Amino acid sequence: MKEDVNVTQVQEPITSAPTEIYTIIERVLALEKSKLSQRSPRNINDDIVKIIKEVIK
Amino acid sequence: MKLLSIKLCNFRQFYGQTPEIFLSSGKKNTTIIHGNNGSGKTTLLNAFTWVLYEQFTAAFTSPDLLINKRAIMEAEIGASIDCWVEIYFEHEYKRYQIKRKCYACLDKNGTIQYSKNQFFMLVAGEDGRWYPPLQQPNDIINRILPESLHQYFFFDGEHIDHIFRSNDKSRIAEDTKELLGVKVLDRSIEHLKKAEKILVYELQLIGDINIKTLIKQQTKLEQDKNNLVQSKQQNLQSLIETEKEQKKLSEKVIALSSNQQLKELKIKLERQEKYLKNELKESKKQLKQLISSQAYLVFLSDIIPKFNTLISTLREQGELPSGIKKQFVQQLLNRKNCICGQELIEGNTYYEQVKKWMDKAGIAAVEESAIRLESQVHDMQDKVISFWENVDDKQAKLEQCRIELSRVERELDEISQKFREYPNVDIRKLQDNLDKITQYIHQLQLEQGGIRQQLITLEKQLEMKEKEINKQKFKEEKQLLVKRRIEAAKEARERLAEVRSRLEKQFRLSLEKRVQTIFSSISFTPYIPRLTKNYELNLIENTSGRGVSVAASTGENQILSLSFIGGIIDSVRNWSHKNTLMGPDSSTFPIVMDSPFGSLDEIYRRQVAKSIPKLANQLIILVTKTQWRGEVQQETNHYIGKEYVLVYYSPKPDCEQDTIILNGVSYPLVQPSPNQFEYTEIIEVSRDNL
Repeated sequence: MKEDVNVTQVQEPITSAPTEIYTIIERVLALEKSKLSQRSPRNINDDIVKIIKEVIK
Repeated sequence: MKLLSIKLCNFRQFYGQTPEIFLSSGKKNTTIIHGNNGSGKTTLLNAFTWVLYEQFTAAFTSPDLLINKRAIMEAEIGASIDCWVEIYFEHEYKRYQIKRKCYACLDKNGTIQYSKNQFFMLVAGEDGRWYPPLQQPNDIINRILPESLHQYFFFDGEHIDHIFRSNDKSRIAEDTKELLGVKVLDRSIEHLKKAEKILVYELQLIGDINIKTLIKQQTKLEQDKNNLVQSKQQNLQSLIETEKEQKKLSEKVIALSSNQQLKELKIKLERQEKYLKNELKESKKQLKQLISSQAYLVFLSDIIPKFNTLISTLREQGELPSGIKKQFVQQLLNRKNCICGQELIEGNTYYEQVKKWMDKAGIAAVEESAIRLESQVHDMQDKVISFWENVDDKQAKLEQCRIELSRVERELDEISQKFREYPNVDIRKLQDNLDKITQYIHQLQLEQGGIRQQLITLEKQLEMKEKEINKQKFKEEKQLLVKRRIEAAKEARERLAEVRSRLEKQFRLSLEKRVQTIFSSISFTPYIPRLTKNYELNLIENTSGRGVSVAASTGENQILSLSFIGGIIDSVRNWSHKNTLMGPDSSTFPIVMDSPFGSLDEIYRRQVAKSIPKLANQLIILVTKTQWRGEVQQETNHYIGKEYVLVYYSPKPDCEQDTIILNGVSYPLVQPSPNQFEYTEIIEVSRDNL
């Protein structure tokens, strides 16, 4: 068995996503990453709704 | 995170400021720090955890007493003593300086007052200057090396197996997932689900859309309208034809009649009736026109006196007309000559006096307008009277016409009655027909009015329907958009869940494989480490063909733990290197370990010593003289970049001195203190002769 994680295969559901979905995922992940140290990030749900609304117009 | 250096000040055993302790990295990635028991190895390990996370390891006793005793005792009353740890590290080509600081102060009663600690961070800019970071320092550190995982990177080797005791297993799973970025995925999935709920609620708020029913209703209304228009047209046509017939019949009656006088009277009355009807129509039209064009005058009765008062006040105050015009004053100033002949030169008294009139003088255009308005308003008052007179005239005329018309109609009716009773049968029949036709015309006219009324109502209904449809269309567009958004949130969530599942599966398998490789390279046992779905680490013996759990010894557990840490670092490094979307920002990890060889025997010590420099990118090992035996030294020697000795100064007069020989040079480990205090100094080992 190959020891390394096959990143391409793991991320395939993201990379194969349509542009709009990819953008949402990318922005949501970046947002969550920036707030990872907070136990319960404030207004995160609203921020995500905002991302979705900005991408899907 | 690449650790560059550490410096301490009055931190536990370390009196005053230590020199900057530079830490090795790169090919020679190992820094060895030698020290006997009590010399400050654990303190040094805790200096890292305190400055980065304000945390201490289990072996660090009395964490409240951080400040060096000697420094406190030597301080004067009221003076404060600094205690701090400062480290420099590099991360993604950026250099950071972090410092955690606290104070102690000896009060009048000889009690030591401790302050809360403060945390500082600076980042080196490209211009070489240091700046405070834009984000919270704690957040920055947590992104580079999460606090929850610090115990895997800064640990007490003798107690390393504690980390993996059963009650901590779930935490290991959580911590590992965090390092992988699974936590980012988990949170994204959870929050996308909540966002989806918010959007579904928005959709509910938009409500049901019944656009189809509305369009059906609209079509029906339009059809009704068309039918009515057609009926109106038909009715009108019938009316015209019937009126023609009525006229013919009326003429026939007159023609057949032998009573000349009656004949003439009927013709005359019919003419009058026609004329009066026209007159009535015309007078009504004129009255309407009069009201719509002049009725506003009636409502000015309150405003006109107010306006008059305003004007007369202005007039009383001499502001209207002002008597002198701005334009006139300006002309005088321009031609530099007053009407009295005095020269007006800018700056002289006469010039200034004339110029003052500019403020008093009125603006010609405004004055003209006010005067014009005044005369118009005056006219309006007269117009109100003439308006009422006109209205009365028109109404009187209308009344007159009505009386006249009713008289003419009555007389015509009398004539018709005479024809009805006429001796000539034909005339009587004709009159009878004429009456019927007149009745029919009346009926048609009523119908026409009814249709007109219905049409107005229908048009209003149609207008309302159209508005409602447009509103619904807008709602429909909005609904479609929200539906698309909900779908997008759902798809994003499902894709992330799939990534999580693939990642967890692949990562766990690859991590297990790595842990197995490392473990088997260190341990001589046939045991195989297994990782459960929850990241629980177990040792399995598989010699009989069936996996059986093994009750591992302390040494085995220690190796297992080291293998796990090494496996995690290696796998995460590999993962985050290729993955920028969700993994941690780090791909470089340091390990600082205190006494890693404590309970191991010779073979294991050698194997561990051989493996650990390969586990992490950077290694800082704190060892005692006894742990630093030949095999450990041999195996790590070519990885060592920096080496230090902690020299312990003992206040005990008859203390046993100790030394260590490193690279052929003897270094003190324990020395008598020149004063009554115990403290530690750190000296660098020269590696020049290597």
